[in-house]
Amino acid sequence: MNEAKVQTGPLGGSLSEQTTRPDCAVIALSHVTREYSGHAGVVRALADASFSIVAGEWVAITGPSGSGKSTLVNLIGCLDRPTAGELKIDNVDVASMSATELDRFRADKIGFIFQQFHLIPYLSAVENVMLAQYFHSMTDEAEARAALDKVGLGSRISHLPSELSGGEQQRVCIARALINHPPILLADEPTGNLDAANQTIVAELLQDLHRNGHTIVMVTHDPEMAGLAQRKIALSHGKVFCHPVGGPMVTLRR
Amino acid sequence: MATLSLTGMLHRSLVHRRARSVSALVAMTVSAGVATALLTLYADLDTKLHKEFRSFGANIVITAHANASLPTDAVARVQQAAGADALAAEFAYAVATTDKGTPIVVAGTDFAAVKRLDSWWQVDAWPDAAVMDSALLGQRAAQFVGNERAIVLTYAGRAITVSGVGRIRTGGDEDSRIYMPLVAFTAWTGVGPSVIELQVPGGVKRVEATMAKLQQELPEVQVQPVRQLVEGESKIVDRTHALMYGAVLLIALTVAVSVLATLSASVLERRRDFALMKALGGSQRTLMGMFLLEALVLALSGVAAGFVVGSAAAWAISEGNFHTATLPHLSVLPMVLLLNVAIASIAALLPLRVLRGLQPAALLKGE
Repeated sequence: MNEAKVQTGPLGGSLSEQTTRPDCAVIALSHVTREYSGHAGVVRALADASFSIVAGEWVAITGPSGSGKSTLVNLIGCLDRPTAGELKIDNVDVASMSATELDRFRADKIGFIFQQFHLIPYLSAVENVMLAQYFHSMTDEAEARAALDKVGLGSRISHLPSELSGGEQQRVCIARALINHPPILLADEPTGNLDAANQTIVAELLQDLHRNGHTIVMVTHDPEMAGLAQRKIALSHGKVFCHPVGGPMVTLRR
Repeated sequence: MATLSLTGMLHRSLVHRRARSVSALVAMTVSAGVATALLTLYADLDTKLHKEFRSFGANIVITAHANASLPTDAVARVQQAAGADALAAEFAYAVATTDKGTPIVVAGTDFAAVKRLDSWWQVDAWPDAAVMDSALLGQRAAQFVGNERAIVLTYAGRAITVSGVGRIRTGGDEDSRIYMPLVAFTAWTGVGPSVIELQVPGGVKRVEATMAKLQQELPEVQVQPVRQLVEGESKIVDRTHALMYGAVLLIALTVAVSVLATLSASVLERRRDFALMKALGGSQRTLMGMFLLEALVLALSGVAAGFVVGSAAAWAISEGNFHTATLPHLSVLPMVLLLNVAIASIAALLPLRVLRGLQPAALLKGE
């Protein structure tokens, strides 16, 4: 694991200390490998990855196409399991969990923000938020309305996704990701489908969330978005080749 | 406070994909409708076919042994053995000479009984059974008499005059005969009935059972089936049953393929929705349950609509072919229900496999 410059982290102490202390980590990978078997033989999508992310940290995962970003996000998002190595989310080893346990764990621990929003087209904004509650525990419309209010969509709760702009749809997606209070927000190219104005809105929302102590793991190609994160994890050919602690938080310039 | 329920989501999903839902519903309705129509007709088939065959006349013939007459109480005993719903008519035959000097077969019978038994006979006017000198002339027999209103017949030197009040056309031996009341015939010729024609309602089994009973209770007579009729009825009933089963099976298979295509497309076009639900924590079992519930709702809606359509079709077919109405049979509903649920379940197998293999990560990434 590469060590980097010392910077104060959200839990106090230095980030470099936190990333090397698994007990402080909300996400901890230790020699994680993911291989896929296909017609062309075994493909190693992620090789021997080891790093930690502490609670409250904002990490950007970068790398070219085919570098293993999606594989890493699938693993952290509990949508997949490693072929080898240890992957701990909130101090629980998910590699040994059954599919059913993983479903439950995912609903509890991970809030997803997708590039393409992925809202159910026949459900209103508030119902899309309630959908995450439905699969987690019980639906609570008041709470879902409040979540939409927080992302500035209090007046759009009854609208269908087709009646919302791209930026508004992404904000519904963020409200849905937050509704069950997961410890980790996993954002996959959250501004990739948005125009400049909406990118700014979403970036500011993520900054607010980070300030409020949310752990954010964000995959992005956008250097400016990556610059908002405290730390970058760069991937190339399935290998984590650096994860330096970033510089000071930057102000988004658009 | 509003909640997001499974049924609510299901309803919204079906309404949102109207064309696909209607397509699946139509397929399920066709399946249930055809099954209802055929099973309803099937339930009444035996009755209706037996009724049709009944109009062809006797299916059992009881005859006296050679040169003998039947016992005088034979028809009463036959009727008793065969049951109240059986029809019996006795016949006595003699060869007489017409006023033109032509030999002709004269038959004595009970016109009232024959009218019921041989309803397929084409008779322009039935004689009054109480009028002893009335007669029914066969179409060909009429050529051998002088005055139809006063036909002089001679048997064993004894002459009788009868009045032909109607003509009979069957295309068979009856066309060459003269029929007259049995009482007058016996008084004239001294010959008693030698043949009883019997029509037993029901299928081949009842005919055979009745024959065995008659043979047992009237050992002094010969009991024979009208073989063509009994065997023909048996074959037609069996073939019609087989045809109906085959039609139901064929249509069920066709509909299953159609529903399979619709449900598969339904999963494929919503695979991102399902992948999202999986990512949000929906278990494999929950998602499969949601999908199966949708298929079940379509199957049950198809049964409800199909039962109404199928019952109406059965009524129309019955009215058109058997000239009697067939009322809806609630008894076929469980079988139609079972068939449609089976079709939906079979058709859902492949889509469920697709659903099971969904990779949320790849789908949500847009791959």
